Amino acid sequence: MSDENVMGSKISGLYKVLCKDNWSANTAGILIALLSILMLAWARPWGAVGAVRNWGEWIIYGVGLWDTLGFSELSDQPGAFLTHTGSVIGIAFVGGAFLSACLGGDFAFNIPPKLEMIKAMFAGIFMGVGATLAGGCNVGGFYNAIGNLSAHGFAMMLGLVIGAILGLKYVFWEMEHIEWGTTGGKTIELPGALKTVLGICALIALVYGVYCYAGSEDDGLHKLSGILAIAAALGYVFQRARWCMIQGFREPHMTGDCELAKSVALSVVILAAGIAIIKYRFSAMDDFDWYWMQYVRGTFGWGGVVGGILFAFGAIQAGGCGTGTLWRVGEGQIKLWIVTPFFGITCALGSLIVKLNELEGMEAFVEEEITNAGKLGSFLYLPNTFLGYGGTLALIFLVMGVWYVLVDWNEDTNKFTLEM
Amino acid sequence: MDDIKADEVLDAKGLSCPMPLLRTKKAINKISSGQILEVMGTDPGSKNDLPGWCERSGHEFLGAKDEEGFFRFFIKKG
Repeated sequence: MSDENVMGSKISGLYKVLCKDNWSANTAGILIALLSILMLAWARPWGAVGAVRNWGEWIIYGVGLWDTLGFSELSDQPGAFLTHTGSVIGIAFVGGAFLSACLGGDFAFNIPPKLEMIKAMFAGIFMGVGATLAGGCNVGGFYNAIGNLSAHGFAMMLGLVIGAILGLKYVFWEMEHIEWGTTGGKTIELPGALKTVLGICALIALVYGVYCYAGSEDDGLHKLSGILAIAAALGYVFQRARWCMIQGFREPHMTGDCELAKSVALSVVILAAGIAIIKYRFSAMDDFDWYWMQYVRGTFGWGGVVGGILFAFGAIQAGGCGTGTLWRVGEGQIKLWIVTPFFGITCALGSLIVKLNELEGMEAFVEEEITNAGKLGSFLYLPNTFLGYGGTLALIFLVMGVWYVLVDWNEDTNKFTLEM
Repeated sequence: MDDIKADEVLDAKGLSCPMPLLRTKKAINKISSGQILEVMGTDPGSKNDLPGWCERSGHEFLGAKDEEGFFRFFIKKG
């Protein structure tokens, strides 16, 4: 082989590693933690519910029920797609996943059998109710919650474990008793070259978006440049590794496989360490109150646990959690396209009910730092307790360590694995 | 791969995670050791999930074949 040919094969080797190969769960876990820390350092923590709730609000607005349902008591109309932070995170995340799926050749319109379509609607509703009660989906309610040192993440984690088991039990029951609508799915493939072209278009659109926001003189819009870039990177990593948090909670009970669970535990540990350093460093800032309150929610209590159960039950039926749903949307999976609007509308309605009745006690918390005014549970920022920052990190490391050991032990013994 | 004769065929097309794997698990319970199950699927995740599951549960993953619009996976029951 000539030197040029060797160079050519090395370049295509790099392309394969970056765009074609499936990345390992641990690679994704580490990258996602680093990107999540970066997102907080740049602007704020990220989540998936902010996006789907905004899109759900637009559906409600679009069908003319905004005033009827009482949304107008909170605002005249939903936040604009391209300036609402949550929505931009969601669009960028799906865009990044779409880019990855196109370049990797995974993108295809995957049309599920009828039963799966019906399940998708109910799954979305369960996820919406769960996310409302738990103060977020698997990201805002669990991953970034624990990462942001808020106790409500542990409440949801407990719920997620229980909900994943119940969800699996239902799936096993369904497989024995329901035959209708389980076959007949099909896939509409796009030509390989078209996928590459679409991928490149998505990349150009994302880069263009970042430049547009970066050029704005408005600080809020300017911030969206980094948010767009980081969220797109997150979507890319999630799809490339097919990293699915709910799978981390499900697989130990389904097949015993604990690879994803262990990578989630690793990721939470890195995330919490990074965020603790940032929050501790800035604890002397004037507006630190705003800072530490980010992603601390008043759902440390029954709301977090029950919300986690309902959310995980729904996510098992959906085949994706908050993030798992969004990156599969970017991959062309029609089932998750059905889940998303139902998830979004339910989140919008749930959030409305919670806000109008002050169920979470958010106003009392933000304005007067009252932590137990709500009915879903309390607000508990762990470093504010006797634990401090060091103790909080030690607690998070301990819980993740115990989870890691338990799922690893189960992989060999199958003690927690459910029989079909 | 072309000359593998399957004893049982499972249509998991259009199903997404975790259904292809669960239906495979159920289908494999119906055949005897040494027989071959063919799974037709469209979920890209199955390319990793099925070989991994076979390894853990003592079945032999014989290979995958790309067809127009779907994959065929061949598994020999252990």
